[in-house]
Amino acid sequence: MKKILQLTLGIITSVGGFLEIGSVVTAAQAGANYGYKLLWAILLGTICLIFLVEMSGRLAAVSKHTIVDATRERFGFPFFSIVMLGIVAVAFLVLVAELGGIGLALQILSGIGFRWWAIPVSIIVWLLMWKGTFGVIENGASLLGLVTISFAVAAVKMHPDWGGAAHGLLPTMPGDGKAKYGFTAVSILGASISPYLMYFYSSGAIEDKWDESYIPMNRIIAGFGMTFGGFLSMAVLVAAALSLQPRGIDIEKFEQAALLMTPALTRWGFYLFAFSMLFACLGAALEISLAIAYFFAQGLGWSWSEDLDPSRDSRFAFTYTIIILLGAIPLLLGIDPIKVTMMSMALTSATLPLAIVPFLFLMNDSIYLGKHRNGWLSNSVVAIVILISFVLAIISIPLEIIGG
Amino acid sequence: MKLVRDVLDKKLTDREDCEMGRVSGLVMQVGERSQPRITHILVGGKTLWMRIHPWIARVAARLSRMWGPKRDEPVRIPWSRVESVGKDVKLDVKARDTGALDWELWVAKHIIERIPGGGKQEEE
Repeated sequence: MKKILQLTLGIITSVGGFLEIGSVVTAAQAGANYGYKLLWAILLGTICLIFLVEMSGRLAAVSKHTIVDATRERFGFPFFSIVMLGIVAVAFLVLVAELGGIGLALQILSGIGFRWWAIPVSIIVWLLMWKGTFGVIENGASLLGLVTISFAVAAVKMHPDWGGAAHGLLPTMPGDGKAKYGFTAVSILGASISPYLMYFYSSGAIEDKWDESYIPMNRIIAGFGMTFGGFLSMAVLVAAALSLQPRGIDIEKFEQAALLMTPALTRWGFYLFAFSMLFACLGAALEISLAIAYFFAQGLGWSWSEDLDPSRDSRFAFTYTIIILLGAIPLLLGIDPIKVTMMSMALTSATLPLAIVPFLFLMNDSIYLGKHRNGWLSNSVVAIVILISFVLAIISIPLEIIGG
Repeated sequence: MKLVRDVLDKKLTDREDCEMGRVSGLVMQVGERSQPRITHILVGGKTLWMRIHPWIARVAARLSRMWGPKRDEPVRIPWSRVESVGKDVKLDVKARDTGALDWELWVAKHIIERIPGGGKQEEE
C-alpha cells in the first residue's frame, strides 16, 4: 500500500515538476516560429530522458550510490573535477534562468519589473531550502506545478489539427533559416534532457532509502511521469502554434508568451500562464540549487541531506546559500531571462556528453549494477540521442552567436 | 584488494557512520628489505589538488592560509584504523578527532550558526 502511494506521488511529482522555464520558452518559441514542425525534438528528448531517469533510479537502488558518488569513485578526482566544473557552470546558468522565470511571472502579475524581484525571489528560494525538508521541496513544489496541466487544456480547446501535429513528430528540415531552426531544436533537446534532474532524482532515491525492490516502481515512475511531462511540453508547443503563429508573434518578450492560452481560456488563460510559470520555475529553482549542492557534497564526501539542520551539514547548506545569492546578481544587472534560457538550454545540449558518457560507463559496470546492468536498447537510445544533440549543438550555437 | 579501484576516492565514514570526506591519497612505505605497504590514508585539500596540478595546490594552500581553519598538513589516518572496505571505507575513529571535519565545523561555527534557524552543531 505504501508503495502504491509512493508510486502515485512519484508520477504526480514528475508531471508537476516537468515543465520549467526552459521547456516552456523553447517549446513556445518553436510553436510560434515553426508551427508543429519541431514536435519531434520534444519526442526525442523525452524518450531519452525516460531512459536516463530510469537509469539514475536503478543505479541508486542497486548500488546505493548517487551518480555523483559513483562518478568520483570510478573515474577519480581529476576527471571528476572536469565533469563537475562543466555541469555546475551550466546548471548555474539554468538556475539564473529559473529565478528570472519566477521574476517574470511576478512581473506580469504585478506590473513591477523582474529586476526588482531578483532579491526577494532568491531569498524566498533560499528560505524554502533552509527551513524545508526534502519531502516538502519535492512534493510541495511539484504539486503546485500541476497547474501547468492548464497548457494541455488550452491546447485541446483550440482544436489542433491532429494530423499536422502527427507529421511534426517526424524530423524535417526547413528550406531557409536552417541555423535558427537548428538552434531552437538544440534548445528543446537541452530543455528536455536536463542532467540536473538525474542528479536530483538519484539523490532523492538515496534520501528515500530505495533498494532493489524499488526497481519496478522506478521504471513506472520514469516511464509514466516523463511521458506525461513530455505531453505537457508538446501542449505548450501546440498552443503556441495555434495562438501565436497565426498572429505573427515571435517570442522575444515574456509578455508575448503570456498570450499563449488566452485564445482558449481568455482572461483566465493569462493568470493560469503566470501561475504555471511561477510554480514551475520555483520548483525547478529549488531542484537545481539542491542538485548543485548535492554535486559538491557527494563529490567531496561531505555530509548532505536536505532533512538535516543546516549546521549539521554546514558545507552543503553554505553551498546552496552562495549559489542562490549569486544567481540573483545577473538578474539584478538586468540580463534578459529569456536570452539566458535559450543559451543555457543550448549549452546543456553541448555539455550532455560530459554528463552522460561517464554515466553510461557506470551503467554498464557490473561492480555497481551486477545483473541490473544496462541492456543494448537503453545504451543505444541514449548514445544516439546524445550524439544528435551534441552535433546539432556544436553546429548551431556558433551560428546563433554570429547571427544574433 | 585493488587500491585505486577499491580504496582511492571512496567515501570515509567513522565508527558512528558520520561522513568524513573521501580518500584523497594513500601513503606507501617502501623499505629496502620489507614488502611495500600502505601506512596511511590522506584526506583533504592539498593532496587532492596535487592530483590535478601542483600549481592549483599552491593557489589552494595560499587561499587556505587567509581563510578557514588553519591547517598546513593533510589529515593522515593510520591504515590500521581501517575497519572495512566496502561501499565506503569504514574507520575505527571519531571523525571530529581526526581533523577531517575541520572545515565542516569551521563553516558551521563561523557562518551557518550565525544565520537564524541554522541550528547548532552538537557540543560534546
